[in-house]
Amino acid sequence: MTEVISPATPEQLREAISWALGSKTPLEIIGSGSKKTYGHSVAADHVLDLSKLSGIMFYEPEELVMSVRAGTSLAEIHALLSDKNQQFHFEPGNFPGLLADGVTDHAGTIGGLVASNLSGPRRIKVGAARDHLLGFEAISGRAEDFKSGGRVMKNVTGFDLSKLMAGSFGTLGVMHTITMKVMPRDEKTRTVLIACDDIESAGRAMTRAMGSENEVSAAAWIAREQVGMLGVDIATGIGAGIVALRLEGPAPSVAWRCEALRKLLADIGTSEELHSTNSHVFWRSVADVAPFAGGAGILWRVSAAPASGGAIASKLAAETGGKVMMDWAGAQIWLQLAGRDAMADKVRDIAVSYDARAVLVRAPEDIRNQMSVFHAEDAALARINARIRENFDPEGILNPGRIGQMLTKQGDA
Amino acid sequence: MPEPDQSTLARRKDIIAAMRDIVPNEGGVIVDEDQLRPYECDGLMAYRQLPMIVVLPENTGQVAAILKYCHTHKIRVVPRGAGTGLSGGALPMADAITISMMKFNRVLDIDWDNRAVVVQPGVTNLGITRAVEHKGFYYAPDPSSQIACSIGGNIAENSGGVHSLKYGLTTNNVLGVEMVTIEGEILRVGGKGPDQSGYDLLGVITGSEGLLGIVTEVTVRILRKPETARALLLGFNSSEEGGNCVARIIADGIIPGGLEMMDAPAIKATEDFVHAGYPLDVEALLLVELDGPKVEVDYLIERVGAIARECGAVYSRISESEDERLLFWSGRKNAFPAIGRISPDYICMDGTIPRRRLAEVLTGMQVLSQRHGLRVANVFHAGDGNLHPLIMFDANQPGELERAEAFGADILKLCVEVGGVLSGEHGIGVEKRDLMPEMFTEDDMKHQERLKLAFDEDELLNPGKVFPTLHGCGELKTLHAREVADKFPDIPRF
Repeated sequence: MTEVISPATPEQLREAISWALGSKTPLEIIGSGSKKTYGHSVAADHVLDLSKLSGIMFYEPEELVMSVRAGTSLAEIHALLSDKNQQFHFEPGNFPGLLADGVTDHAGTIGGLVASNLSGPRRIKVGAARDHLLGFEAISGRAEDFKSGGRVMKNVTGFDLSKLMAGSFGTLGVMHTITMKVMPRDEKTRTVLIACDDIESAGRAMTRAMGSENEVSAAAWIAREQVGMLGVDIATGIGAGIVALRLEGPAPSVAWRCEALRKLLADIGTSEELHSTNSHVFWRSVADVAPFAGGAGILWRVSAAPASGGAIASKLAAETGGKVMMDWAGAQIWLQLAGRDAMADKVRDIAVSYDARAVLVRAPEDIRNQMSVFHAEDAALARINARIRENFDPEGILNPGRIGQMLTKQGDA
Repeated sequence: MPEPDQSTLARRKDIIAAMRDIVPNEGGVIVDEDQLRPYECDGLMAYRQLPMIVVLPENTGQVAAILKYCHTHKIRVVPRGAGTGLSGGALPMADAITISMMKFNRVLDIDWDNRAVVVQPGVTNLGITRAVEHKGFYYAPDPSSQIACSIGGNIAENSGGVHSLKYGLTTNNVLGVEMVTIEGEILRVGGKGPDQSGYDLLGVITGSEGLLGIVTEVTVRILRKPETARALLLGFNSSEEGGNCVARIIADGIIPGGLEMMDAPAIKATEDFVHAGYPLDVEALLLVELDGPKVEVDYLIERVGAIARECGAVYSRISESEDERLLFWSGRKNAFPAIGRISPDYICMDGTIPRRRLAEVLTGMQVLSQRHGLRVANVFHAGDGNLHPLIMFDANQPGELERAEAFGADILKLCVEVGGVLSGEHGIGVEKRDLMPEMFTEDDMKHQERLKLAFDEDELLNPGKVFPTLHGCGELKTLHAREVADKFPDIPRF
């Protein structure tokens, strides 16, 4: 029978892991459970629920730093930041919205966000969650307290274990305290929309924009039939697929760059501009991958060198019959397939032929567990990954199987 | 440092022969004492040690073969870039091969579409910008030594510079590496795209001070050079006012391209040296650079000027030309040689603090200065709280070096006390290794060492660096350090 352990303090968390280590009991680690279906099923009967381990430790807006317990809800954090006109610069989307219907805005916890290293459209300019994690405190699979990093912006004191923890899906240690860099909201935001139905042309347009001096902070392409799902009438009114390019910063600068960008891309198609609120709504929808949200259909995320995005997306659409969307100036391609066939070999072959990586983000559990959800690394890398896992969690008690066989001890998955 | 391993030294001739087989190129293996001499230290010249031999491989295959040999024969290895590091990260060992990567000096690929450049690790930081500036691009992280330091070394130290507040450190600008493990395996981590799979090995390799592997190829992202850059000089009657101004600028949502501060001793020393026109009657001087389109820079200059007035600035000057901007910077950029002119020796410390504790830390430093009887001047990256106290001393006076080191250690302890860290950009190396327990518990360090052991179980890569004396990873391999010593008295300890 599943037992749920809900520590409310770091000490209780250590006790829980200590017990699990001593009794060799695998644990499934959960914040709010909003990303439970991302990755493989965890082979554990016991759940370590971190939702009670919550609260703001400190928030110093003038220092651009916030420290919180891992189980703190993102809704609470975003509300607090918003009060001070600040934000997580990597603008994580409402990722759980992709995985299930009816999830409220900013579902999930900060622990889950960092553990899966998520980030939104601004990644192309400011990086992912890992680039904004200043430090953490955790309990490893050895039931030992450990920390790394700190609360300051510049730090090269010892190995950067924060990077290791970001995106580790709880398989090395359970973070209980997380310190993040926050940033002021930009004074202005505008978005240039350019009509463009052809995927490869869209890719080239984004490449040209990114190579210009206009400091584009987000670049996406949305197909004609999906534009309506972004919730912005001006975008829908274009009546075609659109390349969207966001400019942020001081007002006079944004206006100037908008004009420069429209001139630069005048040969691609007709253009429109979204101003403040519309621009916010638009990119919120892109961050949430709104066209493919809602839990239905198999969803892949292909990560590539940005300039190859157009070619990859075009090929994926043609060869799978699925629907595609590009973000990160082409470096992130979403592919939604109808039906139950994940077409894994086809998707992976196309990705690999462009030196890209494909991750199965959403699929029924039986499909996810039949194949590797994440991109399988080559043997040498996998060996190092496995050794790290073993050194931090020798008994394999933390989220066993979650990230698949390639990265875990033999027999884990 | 660990005691030299006598059995390795006894095999020196065989090792030299093996290295010459692997690297037959002219000058590829250095064994004569006079030729080894230039390698005896890096930028931290207080520590010197002749390497056993120096090898200069020319390709990844040779690096892999060297490391495989070293792994098989349990020979220690010290990787070295341009030797500009300031924490002794490339300090040689008497029983180790120093591998110099300076023959890896080619730019391999400039991918304009992906805004990515692939280079060999011996290419200098500035060399990357030189390769792409004709098309208006540059590589953002800019350590002071950028003309000489190698990108491989930048990765080892996660180097920053005055641009890091706005554009990030090396870790935020490197996209991928090819790296050789001590076992001689060639790993490719990351690439031109933003994601890798598995754990973020690129993130931990960056800043790992040569303890995890030897990087043989690097992919970095390049940015378009901003159209305009202008600088403001702002003088204040106290460092507290200067610090407040920094906080206000940032709280206002302005992230300058550069935001530097100097205290009175540093202002005087640099003005005497470069005549940048700095005011000599202020206690703190801020140098604020705004970059971007001209319209943005003009707008922000106005706003920063207004904030400075509200914060009590008693001096304000705005650069009106590129020459004047560079003149403003010339003092800050020459701070180290300027101090070198007024003191026979100096050591440059490197700690980071929460910005709002600045005034308190500067005051604390003055107290320490009196206690240790040595002068200190301060230049620092004010935007991110990264301090560089320059402690002045005379190595010819008995005991002064030791006093300077003790002073430096006290400063770093003070940084940690107020919530800061031991190093903002120079790394730990040998210099600060024994201060690690100030910041980390035994268990914290064990977890760092566990990462090390996943890459290098025999601890052959750059031993004696980062981890404190008598805190080897040996104890993690089931035995405690004491037991190892008793059981294997000939195992070097560090």
